[in-house]
Amino acid sequence: MADGTSIPIGAIAPGKTAGRRGTMRKFAQRRSTIGFLLCLPLILLIAGFVIYPAFYAIYLSMLNKKMTAFVGLGNFAFLLQRHTFQLVIFQSCLFAITAVVLKAFIGFILAHLMHNIPGKNQRIWRGLLLVPWVIPLALSTLTWWWMFDPSYSAFNWVLNQFGLANVPWLGVGWIARFCTITVNVWFGTPFFMIMYLAALKSVPEQLYEAASIDGAGTMQKLFFVTLPMMRNIIAITVLFSLIVTFADFDIVRILTAGGPQDMTHVFATYAFQVGIQSGDIPLGASVSLFMFPILAFAAFFVLRGVTQRTKEIAT
Amino acid sequence: MTTAKTTNRKTTGKMTRRSALKLAAASAALPLVHIRSGRAAGKLSMAFWDHWVPSGNAVMQKQVDAWAAKNQVEVQVDFITSVGQKNILTIAAEAQAKTGHDMQAFPTWEVQNNAELLEPIDDVMKRLTDKYGPVNAVCDYLAKVKGHWMAVPTSSGTQYKGPCGRISVLKEKAGLDVVSMYPAKPGHTAASDAWTWDAHYTAAEACAKAGMPFAIGLGQTTDSVDTAGALFRAYGAELVDKDGNITVKSDKVRAVLEHGQKLVKVLPADAVSYDDASNNRALISGQSALVWNPPSAWAVAKRDAPKVAEDCWTFSAPSGPEGRFLPYLPYFWGVWSFSKNKTAAKELIEALLQREPVEARCTEVLGYDVPPFDSMLDFKVWEDVGPPKGTVYNYPIRPFHNAKAHIAALPAPPDIAVQIYNRGTMPTMLAKLKSGQSIDQVIAWANDELEGFAR
Amino acid sequence: MSASATARRVAVAAERKHSLHRQRLWALWGSYIALGVFVFMFLVPPFYTLITSLKSSAEISAQTGSPWLVHHPTLDNFWYLITYPNFQTYYLNSVLVTILVVAVSMVISVLAAFSLSRMGFWGSQTLSTGVFLTYLIPPSLLFIPLFQIIGAIGLINNFWCLVLLYPTLAVPFCTWIMIGYFSSIPKELDEAALIDGAGYLQILWRIFIPVAMPGIIAATIFAFTVSWGAFLYPLAYLYTSNQMVLTVGIISDLIRGDVFQWGKIMAACLLASLPPIVIYAFLMDYYVAGLTAGATKG
Repeated sequence: MADGTSIPIGAIAPGKTAGRRGTMRKFAQRRSTIGFLLCLPLILLIAGFVIYPAFYAIYLSMLNKKMTAFVGLGNFAFLLQRHTFQLVIFQSCLFAITAVVLKAFIGFILAHLMHNIPGKNQRIWRGLLLVPWVIPLALSTLTWWWMFDPSYSAFNWVLNQFGLANVPWLGVGWIARFCTITVNVWFGTPFFMIMYLAALKSVPEQLYEAASIDGAGTMQKLFFVTLPMMRNIIAITVLFSLIVTFADFDIVRILTAGGPQDMTHVFATYAFQVGIQSGDIPLGASVSLFMFPILAFAAFFVLRGVTQRTKEIAT
Repeated sequence: MTTAKTTNRKTTGKMTRRSALKLAAASAALPLVHIRSGRAAGKLSMAFWDHWVPSGNAVMQKQVDAWAAKNQVEVQVDFITSVGQKNILTIAAEAQAKTGHDMQAFPTWEVQNNAELLEPIDDVMKRLTDKYGPVNAVCDYLAKVKGHWMAVPTSSGTQYKGPCGRISVLKEKAGLDVVSMYPAKPGHTAASDAWTWDAHYTAAEACAKAGMPFAIGLGQTTDSVDTAGALFRAYGAELVDKDGNITVKSDKVRAVLEHGQKLVKVLPADAVSYDDASNNRALISGQSALVWNPPSAWAVAKRDAPKVAEDCWTFSAPSGPEGRFLPYLPYFWGVWSFSKNKTAAKELIEALLQREPVEARCTEVLGYDVPPFDSMLDFKVWEDVGPPKGTVYNYPIRPFHNAKAHIAALPAPPDIAVQIYNRGTMPTMLAKLKSGQSIDQVIAWANDELEGFAR
Repeated sequence: MSASATARRVAVAAERKHSLHRQRLWALWGSYIALGVFVFMFLVPPFYTLITSLKSSAEISAQTGSPWLVHHPTLDNFWYLITYPNFQTYYLNSVLVTILVVAVSMVISVLAAFSLSRMGFWGSQTLSTGVFLTYLIPPSLLFIPLFQIIGAIGLINNFWCLVLLYPTLAVPFCTWIMIGYFSSIPKELDEAALIDGAGYLQILWRIFIPVAMPGIIAATIFAFTVSWGAFLYPLAYLYTSNQMVLTVGIISDLIRGDVFQWGKIMAACLLASLPPIVIYAFLMDYYVAGLTAGATKG
């Protein structure tokens, strides 16, 4: 697992005799040098294009609007007092958490359904269900937007056929929130499905057989065999998706641009509006930085859980 | 060209090395007449607004090419779209990276946002205004920083956003004869004096009853903001005054909100989610009697729904207690202070803003582009374009309209105004009325919001 | 006694088997129906994209009859795009950028995963955890400070900047899959090779890469998906049509001011989705297999 629990060979190969110890150490040293060199491109990439700009963003967030004076944490304090920003925090959490829970849930169901059907038929179904994940998000969101459009809404046409009134899809706060979440779920569920399907396939068949012999029902198998075996993959997928969803820009930007009345703004779109459109780059940077502690908190707990479980399995 | 000397001193040193050879080559190949100042040589990269009429780009390219050939300057032209705020992102990118084009097209507030990085351009502005007369107060407000012009108002992309209505619908449903009110010929009409916000409301109500509501957005994009801005200004309602004091708790704001409370009831249910294209679509799909939009709505209708287009008429904004104000959204051309070839950039800007090229471009885009100088508001294109002929005759402000150009949030200090504008404070106030909040609640909300802008 | 008992037992077993069989069959059909419902819901937007792409502007704005049907199908939108030089450029740029990004990402993540799963060095454990955490710093936070870096290396409005930036989106996940995959390879294999005197790169090249091929394909597909669909970075850093990639190019070229050419936008959307759909169609099994081994073990 990516949490660093894999044990490098060096650790389990202590020198067997005193005479070989020297060469072993040299060997280990050479190995770690090579190991470091192999990681160097990764380190440079991350350092140059993620870590350094991240620190620069922190620096930016501590400047005043004209970027002429250092104001420390002033921007953060200022933001926290603004009602609009409190709304943005609430909405970001609502958007990300609801979307991730739905994606995880539907993805889980889909993976099970998929697992139920014979392998040779799976391919076509998998293919069809992966389509949303495959279309570039910015473009598929445009389609959604077009289907929600007030004058041309294809959904409203269907509603009208059933004698129902038009729904102002993106015009009323809660409906618009629902729409942004729907699009995100539509886009992200296939990824969960594929990850879970992969996990399901790796659960050894013997475990189920053993459970059957013990007289376990379907639900019991699910709770006592499948879920524990999948816990790590669920945790990692949820974490990954949580991060990506929290940082989402495309969907909200294209669908509602934060409206109506700021009721769909999330961190990224609000940062864009404040930082780029209104020319207040330091404040925009502060808005985006608010994501970090929230996500770091989630990541800490998820990864700690994963590490613990991996250790339990290992020992 | 003498006034330019002081500001040019810095660049000449850098330029000579690069341009000397080219200059020599140029002077050998061409008669000396073409090397006018000797300064306008070298390389230039210009960013223009990507016109929604593709041939608008072509004519611009042609004019630039002609200038480039004449002045022996290698000009790279990029057209940058405003879709998805791409142009603003590019401006931000260049400002942060301190590299990029020599000249940028700055929409509305971006001159103020980037004033520290722009080269003062008073010399060009002086020669242009000497020749063509003054520009309007909005340009002054947006591009003059501490008494200096930081960018030149241009025609490319600049637009008015007055009403464009369906002739037949307004006549039948609301008894409003817009063609006789604003005929396609010079001269004041008595009917136009009666075109007030109250008359606008009465017509909106009648059309809404007939299932053809006025498609006025209450979203946060520019169309919504501009219409709301014109309404607020007509009632003299300032959210923040020119000294930066929050003045939202005033009788005038209350008065405009009282009008707004009536108006929002007769707007479409999804008005709050409108973006800049929603009103177009409402008009083109035949579901609306009137939109506040420049001739693009009409032009698209002409392509997609010709029957609707033939029934469209553009006219001036309604008036309120404080006068008649027409939404105006100018673009500016500015030269970055980090540009390596400021002189040439300025010369090209000046050349492109002469009457003939401005008119040629304006004609190509069916009159969409509004020239910055009042003296140029008499191009023939606005008389000719149709059907119906004369539909955009009253699109530019005519002297007999008694109207003034306005941008929402003026006269607040620009760094506050930009936020009022971009966060759509005014239409959001109206949207809150629509969702059933009381005037007091809306004012309290706006007050809180505005405190956050005065950072 | 024993015979009858056996017979009974057999009968019961057969009955249970039969009911089990029936149960299975029900479950199977249930699964198909449920999947069908999901597929229907998932495919509504793509279907609408297809329908709209076959309509002319006039038909779209006319709004007569169902918007879900085409009354006068036309391929004009597709034809326009295919012969439109800008669109061809975007396509080519997207393909080029994606190929380069996938190559760069895979080289970086395979090397790093090999090192992190097999060779300990100071900080390697922190690194293997930390790599995944780079996702905590999303593009929406980075694009403003990156203006300066990209400007400093002179890559503003140059699609090569995407070749540098996209890997930051793909590499952490790819590395994670690859670490998982490499860890599942028995240590005896490379120990034996080491004793035979093979170098590390030889081990990687001869043993790890062939064995981990499904994982590599899965990671490649992920990198491909990410770099084909990314939106914010090209939106921020590219602005001329000769450098533009598909996602942003389509939006900035086919939406003019407040005029949307929906038929063409939808056709472009389909054309842009074609390469990923083809790739998934052919490599789907590897993708699932790769993830199965890589993501779940480890």
